[in-house]
Amino acid sequence: MTFKEKLETNQFVLCGEIGPPQSCDDEVIRRKSKYFKGFVDAVNITDNQTAIARLSSIASAKILLEEGVEPIIQMTCRDRNRLAIQSDLLGAAALGVRNVLCLTGDYQKFGDHPEARGVFDLDSIQLIAAVAKMNSGFLLSGQEMKKAPEFLIGAGANPFARPFEMRLIRLYKKVTAGAHFIQTQPVFDLETFTRWMGKVIEMGLHEKTKILAGVMPVKSANMLIYMQKEVPGVKIDEGYIQRMKDSNDPKEEGVKIAVEIIQTLKNIKGIRGIHLMPLLWESITPTIVKEAGFIQ
Amino acid sequence: MPNDLMTLDQPPITARERKFSRVMLFFEDVIKVPVFHCQHCGECILSSTGFICSQNCPKRLRNGPCGGTGEDGSCEVYPERKCVWYRIYLRSKLLKRVSLLYKINKIHNWNLESTSAWLNVFKKRIKGIILFVQNDKQKIKDIISNDI
Repeated sequence: MTFKEKLETNQFVLCGEIGPPQSCDDEVIRRKSKYFKGFVDAVNITDNQTAIARLSSIASAKILLEEGVEPIIQMTCRDRNRLAIQSDLLGAAALGVRNVLCLTGDYQKFGDHPEARGVFDLDSIQLIAAVAKMNSGFLLSGQEMKKAPEFLIGAGANPFARPFEMRLIRLYKKVTAGAHFIQTQPVFDLETFTRWMGKVIEMGLHEKTKILAGVMPVKSANMLIYMQKEVPGVKIDEGYIQRMKDSNDPKEEGVKIAVEIIQTLKNIKGIRGIHLMPLLWESITPTIVKEAGFIQ
Repeated sequence: MPNDLMTLDQPPITARERKFSRVMLFFEDVIKVPVFHCQHCGECILSSTGFICSQNCPKRLRNGPCGGTGEDGSCEVYPERKCVWYRIYLRSKLLKRVSLLYKINKIHNWNLESTSAWLNVFKKRIKGIILFVQNDKQKIKDIISNDI
C-alpha cells in the first residue's frame, strides 16, 4: 500500500528522513535505506538541508525507488526559481516520485556557501499552490500539460516558533493552498504542541489535511543544548535535557525519550502519523519503530 | 486553491509607461522609503501587512514568517533585528487587521520591480490599498468557516 493510499484510508503513517551525502556516493543512500525499508511508509529526502550542497534530492529519490522505499522529496525555494522548480518537479514525476514536501528552505547564511545568492522566487505557500496547479494539469504560465503529475503535496509547520497565532495563520494558508499532509518540526515540548494542536482542531484544519508530528531521537544532551541555543524556532523541554545529562547511557535514554514522545503524540486527537527525523542516526529507526509498538 | 497565483503583466508595461513610472516612483519614494523602508517591489501589499513592508524580510517572504523566528521575535538571519513578520503580526493585531493576514499573496512579478505601485494600482495590475477593516474577529471566523 502506498503512502498516499494509507493516508487516504486514514491509517496511522510513519515517515523517516534521509540526508543525502556531500558526495556522489549512492551507496550511502542505499545503505541508509535499509534502516527504513519495511519499517516506515515513506522516507523524506532533504534538499540541501541547512543550505549545504549535497547529492540532489530527486536523484536520491530515484535511488530509493530502486531500493524499494517510497520517497518524499523535499523541494525548497532557496535554490530554484519558478522555472527550475517546475522542471525539476516534472522530472521527479517522470522518474516515479509521487510525494513532495514544499518548503521555503533554510537561509544560505547557515550553510557551507554563505556567500550564495538566495532565490526565494516563490515562498512555501505559493509553491504548494503551484504544485496543486500542476496537479490540475497546468503549468504556472497557464500552459496545459498533456500529462499532469499526481503529487501528494506536503508542507512543513513549526508549532514552536513565534508568534503562535501567526503559525496557525500560515498553516491555514498552506491547507487552503492545497497541502495534503503536514509534517511538523520535532516535538520536544509537548505542552506547546498540545496547545497548538487544540487550536488546529478548533479551526477544523485537521479534517482538511493530515498532520504528522515530528520526532527526533537524539544521542546526547549536548545535541539538545545545541539545538536549543543555535537552531532558531526550536523549543526544548528542560526536563529532557536534564534526563539526558543524568543518564549513564545517553543513547538509550534518547531512544526512551523518543518512544515516550511518540506514545504521547499517538494519543493526541488529530495526529495521523509520526515523522521520524533521526538526524545522523538513521540506524536507530528500526529500534524505535519496534519499541514504539508499530512493528512486533 | 486560488486560481490566479501570479501577478501578470496585464496590461503589458510599455517603454513610455516605464519612463513615467520613474517619475511617479520619485514621489512615491518620498513617503515610502523613509516611513516604510520600501524595497520597490512594485507590487505593494503594505495595507494588508499592517503597514510594515514585508519585503524587508531577508527571504522576501510575502505570506508570513519562516520557521526561524526566535523566542524573542528575532530574525534568524540577522538576530539583532526583529523578524519582519513578527512585527507585522503585532502591528496587525494592534490595528485590528489580522484578518488580512489570512489572504494568500500572489507570486511576485519581477517585471514590476522598481516600478510605481501607485501606477500599477491605477492600471489594475495589482489590488489597491485596503483602508478600513471592520469586525476583524468576525471576518477571521467567516474566512475559516467558508474555507474549511
